Amino acid sequence: MRRLAAQHLQPEAPILVRDFTIRGQPMHREPTTQELRELVADFRPGRGHVLPALHRVQEAFGYVSPRAMEVIARQLNTTAALIYGAASFYTDIRTAPPPETEISWCSGPTCRLRGGDRIREAMQQVLELPLGGHSPDHRYGLHVGQCNGTCHEAPIVWVNGVVTGPLTVADAIRLAREVKGE
Amino acid sequence: MNATLQQLIADAERRWDDRRHDGKVHVTVVMDTSSIARGARETLEAFQRAAEVAPDNLAVHITGSWGFCWLEPCVLVRSAAGTRTVMYHDITEDRVADLLTRVLQNRDWPEMALGVVEGNATEEIPLLEDLPFMQGQVRRLMARTGIIDPENIDDYLALGGYQGLARALEMPDEAIIKEMLDSGVGGRGGANFPVGRKWDFLRTATAEPKYLVCNADEGDPGAWVNRTLLEGDPHLIIEGLLIAARATGAREAYVYIRYEYPLAIARMEKAVEQAKERGLLGENILGMGWDFDVIVFKGAGSYVCGDETGLINSIDGYRGMPRIKPPFPAQAGLWNKPTNVNNVESYANAPLILREGAAWWCNVNPGDQPEKGTKMFCLSGQIKNAGIVFEIPFGSGTMRSVLERYGGGMLPGCEVKGFQPGGPLSGVLPASDLDLPLQLAPYRERGMFLGGGGIVYFDTRTSIVDLVLWMTGFCEDESCGRCTTCHGGTQRGVETLPRIALGGGRESDIEKLEDLVKTLVWSNCQHGQLSPTAIKLMLRGFRDEIDSLIRDKVDPTRSLPGFIAYRVRSQSDPALPEAVEICPTHAIVMDGHDQWMVDDRLCILCGACKEVAPGAIAVVDRFQPATIPTAAAAAGGGA
Repeated sequence: MRRLAAQHLQPEAPILVRDFTIRGQPMHREPTTQELRELVADFRPGRGHVLPALHRVQEAFGYVSPRAMEVIARQLNTTAALIYGAASFYTDIRTAPPPETEISWCSGPTCRLRGGDRIREAMQQVLELPLGGHSPDHRYGLHVGQCNGTCHEAPIVWVNGVVTGPLTVADAIRLAREVKGE
Repeated sequence: MNATLQQLIADAERRWDDRRHDGKVHVTVVMDTSSIARGARETLEAFQRAAEVAPDNLAVHITGSWGFCWLEPCVLVRSAAGTRTVMYHDITEDRVADLLTRVLQNRDWPEMALGVVEGNATEEIPLLEDLPFMQGQVRRLMARTGIIDPENIDDYLALGGYQGLARALEMPDEAIIKEMLDSGVGGRGGANFPVGRKWDFLRTATAEPKYLVCNADEGDPGAWVNRTLLEGDPHLIIEGLLIAARATGAREAYVYIRYEYPLAIARMEKAVEQAKERGLLGENILGMGWDFDVIVFKGAGSYVCGDETGLINSIDGYRGMPRIKPPFPAQAGLWNKPTNVNNVESYANAPLILREGAAWWCNVNPGDQPEKGTKMFCLSGQIKNAGIVFEIPFGSGTMRSVLERYGGGMLPGCEVKGFQPGGPLSGVLPASDLDLPLQLAPYRERGMFLGGGGIVYFDTRTSIVDLVLWMTGFCEDESCGRCTTCHGGTQRGVETLPRIALGGGRESDIEKLEDLVKTLVWSNCQHGQLSPTAIKLMLRGFRDEIDSLIRDKVDPTRSLPGFIAYRVRSQSDPALPEAVEICPTHAIVMDGHDQWMVDDRLCILCGACKEVAPGAIAVVDRFQPATIPTAAAAAGGGA
């Protein structure tokens, strides 16, 4: 295992990819309507701005709340149903706050050939989560990641966006236990 | 040539040349997603700290990938004299100081050197182009990746960039399309439909405005050739789009990049910004009164958005569900206006064709071959050089030759069992088909296709049922849900295949799978139509294994969950307590006689116990009870 995941789990380590939250801070609050309106004020109807608006809200607040969908709908002169339809279609648009530590499990072929599925099985058992689930207190979650070509490190998971691998099943179990705080 | 562009190029060339003669050692760190995963960011920061201390002796740059992902972080070092460049591999942070000590004294570090990029080979360091995995490569699309800084437009301009555009500016639109048609360049997403014809559809469309879309939603697991280009040479794609805009009259282009490529998105956005600053994009391009804009569009994790109409719906703001054709995008695409969708590689070829001419572009291929130009491929799976990206004349080489030459062969102890030529929709073939060339026809004849370039080799320890279950599961997961054949059919697939994997396969399951293959082809889009390809090819190429699983209940790979069980082999093995501890379900328990045993009701077959205590745990065949050691025999201990 080239990189110790532990170094990214320490409280002082900033989250590298998702910079919208700092560990130790209060959990995501729901943004107010006014904040949301200001955030999406420059988007216009009929210009392909649905996904960009969803991305911008998610980058700012970590997820797209029902209220955010209504605000986006109003800004883009459409219905909240259409926005929800689009948001719920994509795996990377969240409709609930993200967990503090997120393990994304790579579902790619090389990881699979090198034992990735057994890693998933074991981590799900330790974390007691389905794929796509998170703990009730939002401390940790398990997400499906898609292959992006770091197969020389296979099998991998991303811990808050950082590639961690190659993992043995035992490594993955230890990692999951650490994340869970066992 | 356009005077403004000529000036831009001349300035960039001068700056590039000045850098060569500034008397500094130039260190260039490969920074792409693969190298960052292996610590390139830390390496880069270490070099940058050193450069701050000695700014007169050392300059640090970044570049894109050479395709040597398993050797990252790679670093190129150019001597102070500017005449010799050596590439080093595996330069992690802790090796930076060692490397710097040597190169600042004008010495090589042969142990870590990969090859000489520029200058003469030495006894210890060969030329990079003489390395086995560089031979036979014709790097045209990748000519600049690994050399230029992808975040600096000047580097691109200095090395022949925007010269294809310069020529296109002097040609009428029909002549550009004729050049594209003459080259014979086909769509690189897998269909190989002539790009020139596609552009002509858009050119002759009457409605306005017209749109271009660059499909960088490279969703095939095990393919990252587009990522290599987007991260290594983003301006090549922008130039391709500019040429396409000249040829077709399009006013706007969308580059749709998948969300999983954050670095590619960032570099593309930066490239667009820089092109706008230099007047190569936006309003009044190069003072010619021509307006054209490129918009970088972030996907959000959906495989069917790689289908051209799914992608259009996604940009339009709907669910990314493929549309029913006709009308084709050339008549009604984005906002129901004429739209042309091409793959990244298709657009990236346009600058080469325009700069050097169609004849040069296809001079690497035999004349009678339908595949033209060069094509990038990447290899993964159970191979030594997992992750390699290479570019060869399209149509040259066989599956076996690229595995040996570029993939470095299978991992030690692995024997090739078969391969997947390009994505989960492309199917699987057994090792007996390894001599098939990398051309389109042989795969079409077998009811499959070559795909976008991500080849995966699997070994004899891999169960074909498990692999095809993975592909079918992927297709089910990514089905948009429009057609019952697709969303229902793939569900039947992920019910039937696990039954076989769990040892409960029935003779009738084969018929059921065959029915599935016949039914799914009636889906609307390619995703549904092609999702049973893997099942079809599995039944054809790996029938013995399926029969053995269903009829004889024997799994030759000894890996499927229904066919194996874990047993405690040695009670006295010192590692056994560790195995007990690591088990995620606490399935290793004491029986009534103070003996450790594996409780099958709890065991999830993850194999962690066997990893930590190979001597204490054994894998046995569930259908052959005789092979299961009794508690008494196991108590005897030993390996």
